[in-house]
Amino acid sequence: MIVVTDLTVRFGGVTSLDNMSVTFDSGTCGLIGPNGAGKTTFFNVLSGFVRPAAGSVRAFDEDLLSMVHYRRARWGLRRTFQTEQAIEELSVYDNVAMVHEHARQPGGSRRGDVRDAISFVGLDVDPAATVGTLGAGQRRLVEVARAVVGRPRLVLLDEPAAGLPEAETENLAAVIRRIPERTGALTILVDHDMSLVSACCETTAVLDFGELIASGPTAQVLRDERVMRAYLGTAEVA
Amino acid sequence: MLETTDVTAAARPRLTLHRPPRGTAVRAAVTAVLLLFVLLALPQLLSLYYVDAMTQVAVYAVVSLGLGVLVGRVGLVSLGQIAVLAVGAWVAARLLFATAQPYPLVLLESGVITMGAGTIIGLPALRLRGLYLALITLMLAGAFSIVLATTNFPNGGHGFLGYNGKLLQIPPIRRPSFAATDPAYFRFAVVVAIIMFALVFVHIRTRPGRAWAAIRQSEPAALAAGINATLYKLWAFALASFVTGVAGGVYAGAAHYLYSYDFPAQNSIILLAVVLMGGAYNMWGAVVAGFLSQFLPALLNNWGVSNDWLTILFGIGVVQVLTTAPRGLADQFPKDMARLGRLIVRLIRRPAPAAAGGEAS
Amino acid sequence: MPSWQEFQPFIVTGLALGGVYALSGVGLVVLYQATGVVYLAFGAVGAMGALITFSLIAAGMPHWLAWLVCLAFGGAVTLAYGMVFGPLLARRDALVKATATLGLLLVLFGAMDLLWTTSGGEVRSLTLPTDSGGFSLGHVQVTWTQVLGLGVGVLIAGATAAFLRYTKLGTAMRAMANDREITATLGVPVRRVEAAAWLGCGVLAGVAGLLLADMVALDATTLTFLVISSLAAALIARLRSIAFTFVAAIVIGLVQNMLVPIPAVSSYNDMTPFVLAAVALLVLARRQVMTRSREET
Repeated sequence: MIVVTDLTVRFGGVTSLDNMSVTFDSGTCGLIGPNGAGKTTFFNVLSGFVRPAAGSVRAFDEDLLSMVHYRRARWGLRRTFQTEQAIEELSVYDNVAMVHEHARQPGGSRRGDVRDAISFVGLDVDPAATVGTLGAGQRRLVEVARAVVGRPRLVLLDEPAAGLPEAETENLAAVIRRIPERTGALTILVDHDMSLVSACCETTAVLDFGELIASGPTAQVLRDERVMRAYLGTAEVA
Repeated sequence: MLETTDVTAAARPRLTLHRPPRGTAVRAAVTAVLLLFVLLALPQLLSLYYVDAMTQVAVYAVVSLGLGVLVGRVGLVSLGQIAVLAVGAWVAARLLFATAQPYPLVLLESGVITMGAGTIIGLPALRLRGLYLALITLMLAGAFSIVLATTNFPNGGHGFLGYNGKLLQIPPIRRPSFAATDPAYFRFAVVVAIIMFALVFVHIRTRPGRAWAAIRQSEPAALAAGINATLYKLWAFALASFVTGVAGGVYAGAAHYLYSYDFPAQNSIILLAVVLMGGAYNMWGAVVAGFLSQFLPALLNNWGVSNDWLTILFGIGVVQVLTTAPRGLADQFPKDMARLGRLIVRLIRRPAPAAAGGEAS
Repeated sequence: MPSWQEFQPFIVTGLALGGVYALSGVGLVVLYQATGVVYLAFGAVGAMGALITFSLIAAGMPHWLAWLVCLAFGGAVTLAYGMVFGPLLARRDALVKATATLGLLLVLFGAMDLLWTTSGGEVRSLTLPTDSGGFSLGHVQVTWTQVLGLGVGVLIAGATAAFLRYTKLGTAMRAMANDREITATLGVPVRRVEAAAWLGCGVLAGVAGLLLADMVALDATTLTFLVISSLAAALIARLRSIAFTFVAAIVIGLVQNMLVPIPAVSSYNDMTPFVLAAVALLVLARRQVMTRSREET
């Protein structure tokens, strides 16, 4: 369980997150909102790249914000980014193993854990293949594999389906749905693809201009009037 | 460290299935033959003038290697590596004058001490972003060159600085007893260079190399993966400083006499230029860089052509590499001047509007 | 410790040099704001301009014309570089853009050594008519050149600040500092604004080149690397504020020169810009928290 209390982030004159308070229970939770709503900023706070002006985040009853950013992986935080981050010059194996290694997972189980993660996401390539030779969809799967390897406790997925064709998005949805049961991790999914969010997330929270405007079971939230107004009312710069 | 070898050992059978084993074996064989040729035959074939130049190539290949690690592997630009070289030379000279230690030990010490200095300076600077880090290395190098101009290099004098301004007869910096002649010292320099290259090679192929790749791709992503980016950046700085410090020690013995004007400010810029041109990512690029910055000038000098043409060439090279490299500062070996030629032709054609009748440039 | 009286001449030189650093720093800041390029070749361009002026004067050209050539040279070379390589590197990060200007620096540096070699021990000098004549202020003799140095610095800083604030072109430059793409979609002629910035910066490089050649030395290496003092001022101002650049430049000039009469640190006085800039950069770093991945440059 992730409990966010009064989280406020300011960049110069802009308030990216405004007294945001929300609780993420177990399973897969969606986080949606128009562009600029503060979703990535929120992830950046969780990752430790941005220091909030106020507020706290308690993850599984531990104070997440007091941890140094690179230590959070060891704690069990995993994340994918909006832009591709799988390292092109290294192999698939090395990409996933690196996360395992730096999250201080036991070396003896490394080979097995990495292979499990790669097969879990359904990536059917030679692990020694260089990521640079893979297609976009496969690279996304490598990133998801990096996010589930070892024993993650909190998985943050930032628009994992962006730019993917429909078939691959469906495949990705199936993978994401299986993450909580397989790893026991709490997963937060940010995406603009509403069908993906509906398919994967039991609950969803909605941000608009840094404020939480709705939160609850996904189907209910997506029908909420305030949410629709937030999306339709603002011109989306796609 | 044990875990890493366990992993790579376990993964190796898979890797060889994917990469053609013959390719790597052939390359290794060619490299070995080349090195043997350089060590054994080259000194006999060249005049002393060129043997001297080749020794400098060995020294600067190592310095370029250090900068290549920073720029090519991690994505950090340092504009102060020549200052680091000067520190290495200074420490080595001081030790050689003050003690009777064997030369290899002195080299090790100058490497370690330079590494320490580089790391201490690198520590606060590493939190800076790319451009600001480059600029602060420029600033620190500048400050250092002024200090050096005042303290000078050791010349056999006493005291901490080991400099005696009033000495009429300056003793030369000694060389190892087994490598006193120029050809022998050249071989010594090459052996040291090989060891430095091997050291860097091991780094690149193991955990630090992979962490550097991650940091270069995206530092936030690396941090999110649990990589202590500051530590690994520092490690890269330490490695670069160490090899450059050792190179400085080799330089001291080669030159016999050290003066602050041997390390002018523009050399740091020229070093960056040749490293970019030779290819910062490729270890062979460091050798090319050494040739560009040390052998070509000797060649031109011999033919009576001014080195300034090289400076101009390097300037053009920097811009060429940066405009054609698809990603960042560390990429491909810029194949030939033909690409530069094409760029120039494109630039000349560019301002011409869509005029009928094809205006030839 | 020297007396107040002994410091006075150095205060004067410090202010004069500081003024020139200020005008250079302002040029660097404005160009960075408009294009994202830290123009490290600024000093080299001014140096070559000054050397050209020197040769033209030696060949008989009227002085004022030769000075204009220097300014024109600075503007032309900088504009040419900017128009060719600006667009080519527009999408790259600031580090790549700045490194590319090092290429220009090397080309100019090599050309200067080729055309105006110093290997024979030649020492050249450039004198301005304002060198002779001046006035006394207390116990110090102040030349008109020194007044010019400080005056031009004040003038340029003030005029540029006003320009950026009150004119259309200046506002456009400030908008581009924020986001080039969005500014373009607003109908601002981005390339023309950039060209103006490159040209202006280049002309300032010429002015600085002349003044520094007179006040310090007409030497390619010295003048090329004097850009560091101006750069230091610009960095202290975070490459943003004209006012801070001006103040920082004056302080650098003052400190650098006022250390000279103090025997213990005299030979280290040239370290001033380096040390001050390094400290400023480190202070900058502490307040900076890791930003978003690549979206933000």
